[in-house]
Amino acid sequence: MTDYFEVHERDGAARVGELRLESPRTTPALVDDVVEDAGSLWSADREVPEGDDSTLTVLPHRSFPGGTAEEVQESFAVEYPDVGYPSVAVISSEGAADHGTDAYAVSDVQSITGHGAALVEAVVSVREAIPADTALLFSGVATPRNVALLAYAGVDLFDETAAVVKGTQGRYLTTDEAYFLEDLEELPCSCPACQKPREEFTREDCAEHNVNALEAELGIVRRRIRDGRLRDYLEGQARHDQWLTAAMRELDSQWGYLEERTPILRDAQISAASEDTLRRVEIQRYADRVTSRYRNRFANPLVLAPCSAAKPYSESQSHRQFHDAIQWRGHLVSMTSPIGVVPQELETTYPAQHYDTVVTGRWSADEKEFVAKVLRRYLERNADTYPYVVAHVPDEGYRDIVERVEDGWEGEDLDITYTVPRGGHPTDEESLSNLAEALSGELKYSKREREHNTVRAIADYLLGDGAGDELFDDIQTTSRYPKIQVRDREDTQLATMVPQYGTLSFTLEGAKRWVETDAPVRRVEIDGFVPHGSVLAPGVVDADEDIRVGDEVVVEGPKAFGVGRAEMFGREMAGSTRGIACEIRHVEEK
Amino acid sequence: MSKPTPDVYEQGKGMDAHNQVMREIRSRKEASYDPHEPTRVWLDEDNTPDGVKQSLTIILNTGGCRWARAGGCTMCGYVAESVDGGSVSHDALMDQIDVCLAHEAENGDEPAELIKIYTSGSFFDEREVGAETRKAIAETFADRERIVLESLPDFVDREKIGEFTQYGIDTDVAIGLETATDRVRHDCVNKYFDFADFEDACAEAAAADDAAAEGADAGVKAYLLMKPPFLTESEAIEDMIDSIERCADVSGCHTVSMNPCNVQRYTMVDELYFSSGYRPPWLWSVAHVLEKTADVDAIVVSDPVGHGSDRGPHNCGECDDLVQKAIKDFDLRQDPSVFEQVSCECELTWETVRERERGFNQPLTR
Repeated sequence: MTDYFEVHERDGAARVGELRLESPRTTPALVDDVVEDAGSLWSADREVPEGDDSTLTVLPHRSFPGGTAEEVQESFAVEYPDVGYPSVAVISSEGAADHGTDAYAVSDVQSITGHGAALVEAVVSVREAIPADTALLFSGVATPRNVALLAYAGVDLFDETAAVVKGTQGRYLTTDEAYFLEDLEELPCSCPACQKPREEFTREDCAEHNVNALEAELGIVRRRIRDGRLRDYLEGQARHDQWLTAAMRELDSQWGYLEERTPILRDAQISAASEDTLRRVEIQRYADRVTSRYRNRFANPLVLAPCSAAKPYSESQSHRQFHDAIQWRGHLVSMTSPIGVVPQELETTYPAQHYDTVVTGRWSADEKEFVAKVLRRYLERNADTYPYVVAHVPDEGYRDIVERVEDGWEGEDLDITYTVPRGGHPTDEESLSNLAEALSGELKYSKREREHNTVRAIADYLLGDGAGDELFDDIQTTSRYPKIQVRDREDTQLATMVPQYGTLSFTLEGAKRWVETDAPVRRVEIDGFVPHGSVLAPGVVDADEDIRVGDEVVVEGPKAFGVGRAEMFGREMAGSTRGIACEIRHVEEK
Repeated sequence: MSKPTPDVYEQGKGMDAHNQVMREIRSRKEASYDPHEPTRVWLDEDNTPDGVKQSLTIILNTGGCRWARAGGCTMCGYVAESVDGGSVSHDALMDQIDVCLAHEAENGDEPAELIKIYTSGSFFDEREVGAETRKAIAETFADRERIVLESLPDFVDREKIGEFTQYGIDTDVAIGLETATDRVRHDCVNKYFDFADFEDACAEAAAADDAAAEGADAGVKAYLLMKPPFLTESEAIEDMIDSIERCADVSGCHTVSMNPCNVQRYTMVDELYFSSGYRPPWLWSVAHVLEKTADVDAIVVSDPVGHGSDRGPHNCGECDDLVQKAIKDFDLRQDPSVFEQVSCECELTWETVRERERGFNQPLTR
C-alpha cells in the first residue's frame, strides 16, 4: 500500500513523482531534510518510532553492504512493521522484496554505483521487486554528474551526502567533472557559493557549491522528464563519465524493463545526435513493429526513397517531387537513420515524424547495418506483395544499404531498378524522370484504397499483426488525410486518426467492434463504478501486461464500458494504489 | 510498540549463517605451517600497570582456534595460520618457545621484562596447551616481571593463573572481548560468549590476584575491536567508547587494548571490502575514542595494524603516519593532549562521515 508517493509523469524508467508529506516534494529530489533514520539493528535493538506525516521514516533496519553473503542476508533479514506514516524499508539489491512501505533504500548502493552493468542489474531487480508506485532511494551516491543517469534508470530520491563528502575532500563537482579544487584557478560556476574570491573559497564552500550543482541538475532532470526528453539529454551528458555511458547502454540491453516503461507516443522530438539513439526503445520498437506487425496491402511496386528533414516526409520539397513522379503508382517506403524504414501509411506514427537527425550525408557502419537489417526484415515479410522494386536512392549510404540487402538476398529475385544515376541526386530532373519511367504502365491506386490501407496499417502497428484486417475489413473513410475518420457501412464512426502521433482514437462503437474481433485487446478491468475523466489506480482490478503508456485501452467493469488512453503501463495499473491509470474518452453505463 | 525483529542470535540462525559463510571462505586457503615454528615473534615496548616495559610478543601456533574451525569471527584470518588437523605436541610447542628465546637473544639487549603469548585461541584451553606445556612455559619465564596470556573467558581459571603467579610473575589474561555490546559481538563479530562471561573471567583473575604470592598481581587485559563489519563509523565509535567505559568499570580489568579492524585475507570482512562494502575505521576515530576515554580507570591503548593502507585503519593518506605516531605516544603516556598536536584537512571529511554515514549508504569514503 503506498499512501505517500505518487507518480505523475513518466519518461521511460524515469518518473516525476510526488512525495506526499505534510509539505509535499516533487521528485526526483534531494530528501536529506525529510528523512529520519530509526537506526540500525546491527548496533542496538530499536523500537519502531512514532513517526509522522512530515517526515519519511527509515524503519529499523539491518543493512547488508555489498559483498554480504546470501546466507547472512537471509538469516538476519528484518520484518518491517506495518506503520501508518510515510516509511522506508532498507533492502539489498540482491534480496529486494515488497515490504509495503512507501519507499525503499538500497543498502549496497556504494557497491553498485560506478559500474554500469552492476548498477543496471541492481536497479532492474529492485524495481521489478518493489511496486511501481513506490519511491527508490539511493543515499550517499548522487553527484551533479551521475544523478541524471540514476534518475533515468529509475531512482527517485537522493541526498546531498556524496556531494558534501566530496566537497570536504576538495573535489569540485560539475555535471561534467570532479575537479580537484586546488587545480582550479577560477571557479567554473556562478552559484551563490561560488561568488567568493577564489582564494577565500574553502572546502566548506566547495561542499555548498556541490550541493547547489546537484540541485540545479535535478531541476534539469525533472524538466527533462516532464518534456519526455531525458534520454536526449543523457546521450550527451553521460559522455562525461565512462561508467555512465556504459550504464545507459546496459539499460538499452534491458529491453523488457525499459520497453515496458517507455510510452508509445510523445509530443517531444527525439534528437538523433549519437550512435546510441539507434538503441533507444522508441527506435527499436518502431523497427520491430514495422517488420513484425505491419503488412503492405498495396499491389503496386515498392519505391524506396531517402527520408527528408521535414516531417512528415510527404510535406517536404523532395517528397513532393517524388510524388509528382510516382503519382500513387508505387508504394513509397522511406529509408532513414535512425528509424529504419517508414512505409507511407506510417509516416506520421511516433517517432517517424518526431525525430531530428544530424545531417552530414556521412553514414556510420552501425547506421548502415541497422537500416539494412530493418530493410531486409521488411522485405522478408513483404517482398512477395511487390511485383518489383524501384530504388530511388542516392549513392552514399542509401544505395550501399539497398545493394547490401540485394546481395545477401536469398529469396525470389527482388528485381530492383536503380533510378538515381551514379553521383546524381534523387531530385535531379534525370532521376525524377527515371523514377516516372520505371513505373510506367502501373495503375494508380485510389484515395479510398490509400486511406483504408493507412488506418489498417496504423491498427496493425498499434494493436498487432493482422489487427488492421480484423478491425477495418469493411469500412468507409471520411474527412481529409491525415485526420481520417473511420466509419462502418452504416456511417457510424469507429475511430479517428490522430495526426500528431499517427495513432487511432476509438469511439465507443469502435471499441465494441475491437473487443469482438480476434485482434489483441488492451483491456483494463475496473471495479463496479462508472468512470468519468480518469480511472485511478485503486479502481483497477486488472490490466493487460501489454499495455504501454499512450496505448488505446478498453475500460470495462460490471457497471461500465469505455475507451481511453493509458497513463500507466499495464502491470503498473494493476499493482498501484495511487495515481491516474488511464484517461477516459468515452464511457457508457451498462 | 512492537519490536521489529526477533533476536536472531538467540535462535542461532545468524551464527549458523556466519559460520557457514566463514567456513566456506576459509576453505579457499590452502597452506600448512610447521608446528615447530611459532606463527610470529617480535620485540616491542608496552605500557603496563607498572609503566612502559620491553616486551617479547609470541604468537604460539597451538593448532589454531577451535571456534574458527567451526567458522569463527568475521574479521579474523589468523586461523589460516594454524597447523592442519589440530593439536600440536608438547615438544613442538617447546620448540616454538626455544625459537622465540633465540629471537630475543639475537635481537634484544637483555631479556624482556614483559612476555606476551597469544595463540589465536586460548592458552588456558587444555586441548591447545596441555598442563605439562603450561607448567613448562611458566617455569621458562619464571624470572620475568610480567606475562600476558591470551584466552577466551570460559577457560580463565584462578588455579591456572596461580601456576604463573606462584613464581612471582604478574600475570594478565588477554581476553578478546571485542566489544562490551553483546549484540554487536554476536551479530557483527560472530563471537559466542557474553559480556557476563567476561565479567566472570575478570572475577577469576581478581580471585587469583587475592590468592597470589606477595609481589605478584593477576588481572585482565581486554582486547576490543573497533568497527566490525556492518557498523557505520559513528556506531563503531560509540560502541568503543561505551565498551571501554564498561570494561574499565569491571574489577580485575586494568588494561583495555582497543584495536581498529583491518582487512585480513580469507575473512568475511575481506569479502565485504572486495565488494566496496567495508572500510576500516579512520585513525581519527581511534584518536577520538582514546581522547574521550582518557579519564577512565584503566590503561587504554591501541595498536593500529596496517595504518595508512587501504586494508588497515586510515585517514586521507597525508596524515596517517602523524596520527599513528600520536596514538603510539598516547599508548605510552596516556596523555590526551597529544591529539591536539595533530590536524589535517581530512578531519572535515571524517566529521561529515560521522554525521552522514548510515547503514544504507556505507561506506561513504574509501
